[in-house]
Amino acid sequence: MNLLSCRPVRPYAPGVHRSISMLEEIELAQRIVAAGAHRDAEAEAELCRRFAPRIRLYGLRHLRSEAAAADLVQDVLMMTLEKLRAGAVRELDKLASFILGTSRQTVVDARRGGQRRERILETFAPTLPQFDEDSAVPLDSARLEHCLERLPERERSVLVMTFYDDRPADEVGAALGLKAGNVRVIRHRGIERLRLCVEGGES
Amino acid sequence: MNTPGCLTDLDLIAWWLRESDASATSAAEEHLFACAHCTARLQRLAQFGAGIRLAAQSGAVHAVLSESFLAKLRDDGVRVREYRVQPGMSVACTITAGDDLVVSRLQAELRGAQRIDVVVEEPASGGSQRLHDIAFDAGSGEVVLAANSRQVRQMGVTTLHMRVLALQDGAERELGVYTFNHSPS
Repeated sequence: MNLLSCRPVRPYAPGVHRSISMLEEIELAQRIVAAGAHRDAEAEAELCRRFAPRIRLYGLRHLRSEAAAADLVQDVLMMTLEKLRAGAVRELDKLASFILGTSRQTVVDARRGGQRRERILETFAPTLPQFDEDSAVPLDSARLEHCLERLPERERSVLVMTFYDDRPADEVGAALGLKAGNVRVIRHRGIERLRLCVEGGES
Repeated sequence: MNTPGCLTDLDLIAWWLRESDASATSAAEEHLFACAHCTARLQRLAQFGAGIRLAAQSGAVHAVLSESFLAKLRDDGVRVREYRVQPGMSVACTITAGDDLVVSRLQAELRGAQRIDVVVEEPASGGSQRLHDIAFDAGSGEVVLAANSRQVRQMGVTTLHMRVLALQDGAERELGVYTFNHSPS
């Protein structure tokens, strides 16, 4: 799998001044490393803004709790910045993997009781910059409800029972008398129809 | 639509719902942490999930559900008013300020049915709505139908008939008629 091919192309020419939002993640990391203890607040905030949603979604998927996912974002970003400032991340071009690894370890620790979190907060808490998370366009909940009501019955049943509690296809299928493969097909079709209706304004 | 090199929608959904195996899970996570585009797509999926959850909790959507799903709602503190009705029977029903959800549990012999439709009729207005090809567990002996609470709250004194129909080879067979005499609380 080519992990880079789906990144948007940056529309700039070499040598032209670029705003912070146009820098590649490796460039942000290089600036943070170069600043060290003096701290490059702008680069740090931009790196946090970009990675916060990835860590949060990872946390939601593994911890199934908004609060726990928010804690994970804070912990992982604090540790990442501290390692970068100390020059302790060896391969900056693999920063995403480093942050994923830190996220994984932090989730494992959280499941074991979370004692490590207290140590992290004591050590790093004052050093996290202020940043606005790179968030998605807000969802129009009235529009979503309108579109849900217009789905075929099976698709609505499957989507409600799946996403109410993020249940896999086999569990939803067992409750509705459907095979797991059938649930996946209905689910996929329903999500696509919902997306078209919500984002395309189709009724 | 998927961009070449990115995770497919099926990959994203399977990862989010923990259906993928360890290898696929690891590959999906490596990609997500490196790809802002797929992160944005996953954010949208998560938003849809949260919106659907909220709609279900507040009774903002009608849906055919299951008994196990109702139990989960109750465990989560959703206030569910239920009416269990036998074929040919009627029930006086309402929705109160304390209810989040109103559910009709239409008892019927579903075994052997290939497809089930439910027709909701309002004799006074002559209006009707057909719910085509609903999901059902043949062994459950019932159709669990959650109403849109907002719509029910707006109803005055009304009589509704619900008919459960089994369809096979182009023919339909009535499994039961259920009468709901609704009055506002």
